Amino acid sequence: MIYRIRHLTEYEYQQPVSLCYNLAHLQPRNTSYQNCLSSKLQISPMPAYSRKRKDYFGNNIVHFSIEVPHRKLSVEITSDIRIDEGRASPELNLDLGSTCAQALEALKTNQSKSTLVAREFVLDSPMIKAMDALRDYAAPSFTPDRPLLSAARDLTHRIFTDFTYDPTFTTVATPLSDVLQHRRGVCQDFAHLAIGCLRALGYPARYVSGYLETLPPPGQVKMVGSDASHAWFSLYSPEEGWFEFDPTNDNMPAEQHITTAWGRDYSDVAPLRGVLFDGGKPQAPRVAVDVQRLEG
Amino acid sequence: MSFSQQQQSDQGNALVYPRPAGLMDEVYAPDGSMRSHWEYLLDSLNVLGPDALNDRQRKAERILRDDGATYMLSSASLASHTWGLDPVPLLIGSEEWSQIETGLSERAELLDLLLKDIYGPRELLRCGILPAELIYSHSGFLRPCQDIKLQGDHQLILHSADMVRGADGNMVIIGDRTQTPSGAGYALENRTVMRRVFPSLFRDSHVHRLSLFFTTLRHTLTRLAPPGNLAGGELPSIVILTPGAYSETYFEHTYLANYLGYPLVQGGDLTVRNGYVWMKSLDGLIRVDIILRRVDDSFCDPVELKSDSRLGVPGLLEVVRSGRVVVANPMGSGVLENTALLKYMPQISQFFLGHELQLASVKTYWCGDSNDLAHVLANIDKLVIKRCARRAGEFSIFGCDLPAGERQQLIERIRLNPLHYTAQEYAAPSSAPSWHKGAMHSRPSVLRSFSVAGEGSYSVMPGGMTRVGIANDSRLISNQLGSLSKDTWVLASEPEKQLTLQAGPGGESLSQIHQYTTLPSRMVENLFWMGRYSERADAAIRVLRTVFVQLNSAVILPKGAERLLLRAVSEVTLTLPGFTKDNLELLRKPEPELLSVISDAQRTGSVKASLIAMLNCAEEVKELLSADIQRIINDIRDELNGLENAVARGMASAPEETLDPLISALLALSGLYQDSMFRGLGWRFLQIGRRLEKAQQVASLLRHLLVPVNVDPSEPLALESALLSTEALNTYRRRFRAETNIISGLGLLLIDRSNPRSLIYQLDKLFKDLSELPNRGKGPELPRNQRLVLEISAAVRLADMRTLAAVDEKLQSRVQLDKLLQQVQQRLNETAVAVSEDFFDHTGGPQQLVNTGWNGEL
Repeated sequence: MIYRIRHLTEYEYQQPVSLCYNLAHLQPRNTSYQNCLSSKLQISPMPAYSRKRKDYFGNNIVHFSIEVPHRKLSVEITSDIRIDEGRASPELNLDLGSTCAQALEALKTNQSKSTLVAREFVLDSPMIKAMDALRDYAAPSFTPDRPLLSAARDLTHRIFTDFTYDPTFTTVATPLSDVLQHRRGVCQDFAHLAIGCLRALGYPARYVSGYLETLPPPGQVKMVGSDASHAWFSLYSPEEGWFEFDPTNDNMPAEQHITTAWGRDYSDVAPLRGVLFDGGKPQAPRVAVDVQRLEG
Repeated sequence: MSFSQQQQSDQGNALVYPRPAGLMDEVYAPDGSMRSHWEYLLDSLNVLGPDALNDRQRKAERILRDDGATYMLSSASLASHTWGLDPVPLLIGSEEWSQIETGLSERAELLDLLLKDIYGPRELLRCGILPAELIYSHSGFLRPCQDIKLQGDHQLILHSADMVRGADGNMVIIGDRTQTPSGAGYALENRTVMRRVFPSLFRDSHVHRLSLFFTTLRHTLTRLAPPGNLAGGELPSIVILTPGAYSETYFEHTYLANYLGYPLVQGGDLTVRNGYVWMKSLDGLIRVDIILRRVDDSFCDPVELKSDSRLGVPGLLEVVRSGRVVVANPMGSGVLENTALLKYMPQISQFFLGHELQLASVKTYWCGDSNDLAHVLANIDKLVIKRCARRAGEFSIFGCDLPAGERQQLIERIRLNPLHYTAQEYAAPSSAPSWHKGAMHSRPSVLRSFSVAGEGSYSVMPGGMTRVGIANDSRLISNQLGSLSKDTWVLASEPEKQLTLQAGPGGESLSQIHQYTTLPSRMVENLFWMGRYSERADAAIRVLRTVFVQLNSAVILPKGAERLLLRAVSEVTLTLPGFTKDNLELLRKPEPELLSVISDAQRTGSVKASLIAMLNCAEEVKELLSADIQRIINDIRDELNGLENAVARGMASAPEETLDPLISALLALSGLYQDSMFRGLGWRFLQIGRRLEKAQQVASLLRHLLVPVNVDPSEPLALESALLSTEALNTYRRRFRAETNIISGLGLLLIDRSNPRSLIYQLDKLFKDLSELPNRGKGPELPRNQRLVLEISAAVRLADMRTLAAVDEKLQSRVQLDKLLQQVQQRLNETAVAVSEDFFDHTGGPQQLVNTGWNGEL
């Protein structure tokens, strides 16, 4: 499957911004199941400086700064992505593999490089702190003899069932405890919530940012989260590797999930962040995302 | 702890150092004999006698105070704390030192390898030498710093270690400082003072000198220059980045900036443009190649690190990454300050060097290790608990000091976050002699060392900074708790060759001159305001003094005159409404309001507020001020501390006299501005600020005293007061020997060029100073600031005094005088704005594109 993704972010300021320094996590990374065929980033006004590199987590990151006064900043990226068809399917049998107890033990003893790297994702991160409340919420799904992936799938389903998708309730700054208490949020909150649950129990979990295909194939229900960037989580099991789950849609990301970047939480992979001088009161950006199927 | 206390009944015995029982001691060997390298010093002090030693101690205190040597205990500007120096140095024999030196140099090498590994391949994690969580959970591990590399062999440029002499007599390391190690400047200041206070003792003791450390630092910094930045032969430009005047070690930053000859800058003085770092100076943007930083890791760049930091430079890290500026120590080096690493130093050393370290670290337990955790929880009353990541204002916890309840809370905190806690066995520091309140005492001491990467290996400062506890059983020794410091003398067996900073092969004299003339815009702006505030305070004091004299004069003043004078106080100091609202209660009993205009620090325009503002500006430009200016500044600060009480007490009789010391100090300051400051652009701006303010003040004074004309005969009194406030009354009387006459009075105050307080005198000087500034205009015309001054200067000179003195009977005012002075005031304001627009920095504070609520901190 090949997708073309267009992601536009526009800021309009009350007063001219004299200088700005930004970081963009916008160009989708290559993974074992996806390939970024081409990617074009357009920034207006023209940056005085820009450089692309790989960040600590291996994501694509662009640094750019604008040094001419401007009232409007526009950042648009268009990428063509190929997704392998062999990606996890809904029929995948999750009742096999290491049990929760085995996985926890293996995390301590397994010396492989991938496990070593994964251990970083058990720890607290800037936006996700382990809390008893998270552990208590998650615990019923993770009985010692249950296969870990099956337990994670169950947690995903419970979050989908127990929580209400409500874009009016949270912002990027809403703390996890509020989400848990009010049982409301958006994809970012649900991903953080699930990650917090898993880490509270000692499992490595990371935050994945990306997109969801806009138009559903005929006969299927339209999925929430389209027309915007999306987020879900990934869990590591020492024997099985990383597996992704989408608590907003109660499924496992497959062909329609396009990955942009991953990190410990949103703060590691925010699509666009930065510091600006002048410009008046901060304004919310206009964001438009368009996921288009080129060929399948 | 017990001591074999000796009787100190007579003076002679005050100098005898009592030998502490049961403790490791610096002076006495365990068998009770005195170590030979202490004999000469202690004998000499004995010969000197207690009185002389007290005298030298006072002298040292005075020098430190005059140098402005402070350690800030709080951010209140009047609360700075003079650096405490114990006059008895700590002595270390040459032979022992060479072992310590080797050990420290080796430790720095190892930490350097560790730093490269943590931000590089992380072999130590892969090979299981370090638990992954130890690095990953530490807030000093900054992921954006992965793969950042400095030029040359070393990543870790500066390293400091705190050490104590343990029970076995060997030095043991209790902690490392690797982000922005502080103290080297204080060590240098301690040394400078000791050499002045004990010249012959110092000379005869053959003490190893400190200068080589600083020479090496300069060479290393120069060598770090990004190669792509410099054209052939060009010298790199180096700055010291400080968090600012409220930083507790700010004195040291200014001291090092002066000693090393590098400009001292704050985050706001630097800007990233075009992929490079630049300093905003009067000469425009000047590229910066190397930054010696005193700003903590995570505060350095709000774009990638702590997003609410105001101390850093947005975009800095990306410039570092692309190799166009070097920051030393590199950002991210705080990861080495993780106290848990002390536990693993032997294994790390085995891994990298193949042998154990010569200098051991104190036995440390990391609660992230389950065995260690169990041990710590079971033995918490015997251990010292530390967080892995040091936090401001947080001290080590001595388990034995905790009441049971708090101990339980601590255990809970550790259980909740075991990864973030370590525990150390308490290494009781050895004691050393300390001169305190006229007697020799035994005090625990901690030594901080300083190492700098040199070519090939690390160079260690001989000695370092010793701190002593405030009591004989102090366990916590910290400057934040008021500990004293000591100079540390490493004794050479023979006299050392002289080596001064200038004699070193640095060869940077050219860039030094260049750097001294290119000040950051912020400093220039502070000098400008320092000048303005000192004159503003001066004018306020003078008008208050005049009013006190007149109100308390033998003659009873006409009501109108009294009102006029009081109104003038409010108007001139701009402490409105004050007396301007004809509040009868206030006019009947003016003392409380006058007291407030003098000493209410919260009230803009009060004498105290203006002087505090002046002190704050002075603090920002500290490194440009001479020792003499610094001394006056100290006097003013002292005077302000007691001002309110002094004035309140003096209200009953001759209150004007309580203001005299401030007037004298301000006069001394203005003399020193003339005689002890380098005539650079900085000085020019100070003068511009002063002249602008003086001119404003004369105009305002005349406007409020001489424009209104009262029906009662207060006329001569108003003129007399104006003359008195401007110190022109005696001249006037000598010259005119007559009743006060408004026309000759105006002549003296407005257009007499021989009167240094006349308006025209200020305008002439102001014009001259402005014309010395670089021309920022596009065309051949005079810059706007000069045109404005020229305009009023001509208007004043062309004015006819008779016309100005004429009274409009209907309005009861001198309309022409008012018009002229109003024009003067307005144009002066415009001049100030024009100067500010042309020369000062107007970038607003940074803000985040997205406010996410998190600030980049773990």
